[in-house]
Amino acid sequence: MAVATAQPPANAPSQQRAGPRTAAPQSGFAPWKNPSLPPIVRFENITKRFDDFVAVNNVTLDIYEKEFFALLGPSGCGKSTLLRMLAGFERPTEGKIIVAGQDITELPPYERPVNMMFQSYALFPHMTVEGNIGFGLRQEGMPKDKLAERVDEAMGMLELRQFAKRKPNQLSGGQQQRVALARAIAKKPRIVLLDEPLGALDKKLRQQAQFELMRIQETTGTTFIIVTHDQEEAMTVASRIAVMEKGVLVQVATPGDIYENPKTRYIAGFIGDVNIFEGTVSKVAEGCIEIEGKDGYKFKTRSTEAVTVGQSVCLALRPEKIRIGREKPATDLNVIPGKVEDIGYLGSISHYHVRTAPGERITALRANAAHAVEQSITWEDGVWLDWPVDAGVVLAG
Amino acid sequence: MSTGTSGLKRWYVIGAPYLWLLVFFLIPFFIVFKLSLSEVATAIPPYTPTFSWSTGIVSFLSQLDFQNYSFIFGDPLYVNAYLSSLKIAFFSTILTLLVAYPMAYGMARAPKSWQPTLMMLVILPFWTSFLIRIYAWIAILKPEGFLSIFLIKLGLISEPLQIMNTTTAVYIGIVYSYLPFMILPLYASLEKINPSLLEAAQDLGSHPWRAFWQVTFPLSLPGVFAGCLLVFIPAVGEFVIPDLLGGSETLMIGKTLWTEFFNNRDWPLASAVAVLLLLVLIIPIVLFQRQQEAEREAAR
Repeated sequence: MAVATAQPPANAPSQQRAGPRTAAPQSGFAPWKNPSLPPIVRFENITKRFDDFVAVNNVTLDIYEKEFFALLGPSGCGKSTLLRMLAGFERPTEGKIIVAGQDITELPPYERPVNMMFQSYALFPHMTVEGNIGFGLRQEGMPKDKLAERVDEAMGMLELRQFAKRKPNQLSGGQQQRVALARAIAKKPRIVLLDEPLGALDKKLRQQAQFELMRIQETTGTTFIIVTHDQEEAMTVASRIAVMEKGVLVQVATPGDIYENPKTRYIAGFIGDVNIFEGTVSKVAEGCIEIEGKDGYKFKTRSTEAVTVGQSVCLALRPEKIRIGREKPATDLNVIPGKVEDIGYLGSISHYHVRTAPGERITALRANAAHAVEQSITWEDGVWLDWPVDAGVVLAG
Repeated sequence: MSTGTSGLKRWYVIGAPYLWLLVFFLIPFFIVFKLSLSEVATAIPPYTPTFSWSTGIVSFLSQLDFQNYSFIFGDPLYVNAYLSSLKIAFFSTILTLLVAYPMAYGMARAPKSWQPTLMMLVILPFWTSFLIRIYAWIAILKPEGFLSIFLIKLGLISEPLQIMNTTTAVYIGIVYSYLPFMILPLYASLEKINPSLLEAAQDLGSHPWRAFWQVTFPLSLPGVFAGCLLVFIPAVGEFVIPDLLGGSETLMIGKTLWTEFFNNRDWPLASAVAVLLLLVLIIPIVLFQRQQEAEREAAR
């Protein structure tokens, strides 16, 4: 028990890991910025209706080769339907799906160059691990020795060799998940689809599995498309994220972009924690606007959105961008006094819930860098919150 | 004190079914077995020896022998009846499976809201007496029956069908009567199969027809096995169906047994036939129980 770990405690807040990546593994990788590069998957005005219910509403989306693309949204937002249409299990009511330049809208699932990893894993219970992984290759009529080689390769990649002869019900959840992944990559498809692949794993295992997914995706150079409702997971694994809400694509961007520049209030709230101040624009200057808050505060913030004076807007502010201190800051800009109501001590960081005079509750976050730093601010302390001009994001409405 | 009474209660609960089996199965079996070792006699009851306290158990036992068994093995009539029963039971099991599988499959794939209704329809025939349903088949199958009239009206045949009182009619009767016993275990095992397994098979390049043989059928094997045994075991000893629908050519051990017992009044020989029938059926019964055990193990 004397082993010191550098890991944050298991209940560390999501913002820590979900924050913008400073050293993204694919920092130089941005095929979506290259207009001459053809996408590997193109959804063209895809609409899917089930009776009266519109599951997917006019979605147009390009996904590029070697991307790790995440479809993110709450359950029932249409992300799984979109994935199942790509796999061929659902037929779009309208629109076209093009994979590598070929229109596959009418192709049955067994003729599509994609393989899927199912949420329930869907491992064949009557076959061994080997049998499951080799299933797809057997359909191609691959010769026995070549098949064994490929199965062994996939098993090696996911450290499954010792379980080769076991049946799925003799494996743990994490092992089953690896078999399901091995089966999905064994045919070396151009695109691997993952439908909530880690939903059944506990938190710790899920984090390991996320890195394993990224490792497999990078070593095989395959395009991965993952469906998830877990924003952390999407932030961790994806090169780009498409956020869906009620069948519509709301924003498609890199994790950092989505976190720093959410397009709507919904996305700002869905990805990470956020403080929202409502107000009206009182002054518009070069790249900078002033907002008069509902509660009489004046904020100055950068803005790339085109807004006009008098328009009502929201200022979205991430907790970690807010400074908290007991001394009144030297500046008068973006400063709010308040009283500490609650402190969430999470080891590496602390959350401070501050009640302002008009009764608003603001969350600020501070890293506990020095020892016993949490003692410097305590419950019922009067504190000052402030943030720089470029900390917030202005959202319409 | 309390553990003593609750322990006793437990024994009552566990003991009750065993007591039932003892009184209604094991003791009758020994009576039949004892009868099979006796000899036919013109008396009431029509066999000898009968146990009496005056002569004692030793002299009683010394009069029992296996004569009836050697008689059965010596007469090809009985051996043929056994073999013919097994043959008819075997082929009707296969036929029942072929008819039941698509029905069970359809039920399992039907919308969830329909399934209780379909299940009801399968069980519905049980609301009418088995005997009456077999009599109804006579009305359908006889030369001037509904089937012949219907087919003649359609112009498919010109002469009435001669299937009543043939082995064909027996097959029809068995398949009809035992169909629910095949459908229900098949449905139970097919319904358990996760539909995403078939999606996975297709996703990996398996044509739906191949996916059926690679995934659905192997996973339904426990149901196939259970259904086949549930049909085969009672079909071997079937008496009513061959008696009512079959003809003189239809040789089945159940009928032979009945003739021995009621027509010839040879209770000892009939008992020996019954004991042998039980021995013939012990193998499939044990197989069935093993399979059920394995199912339970797998479900755990």
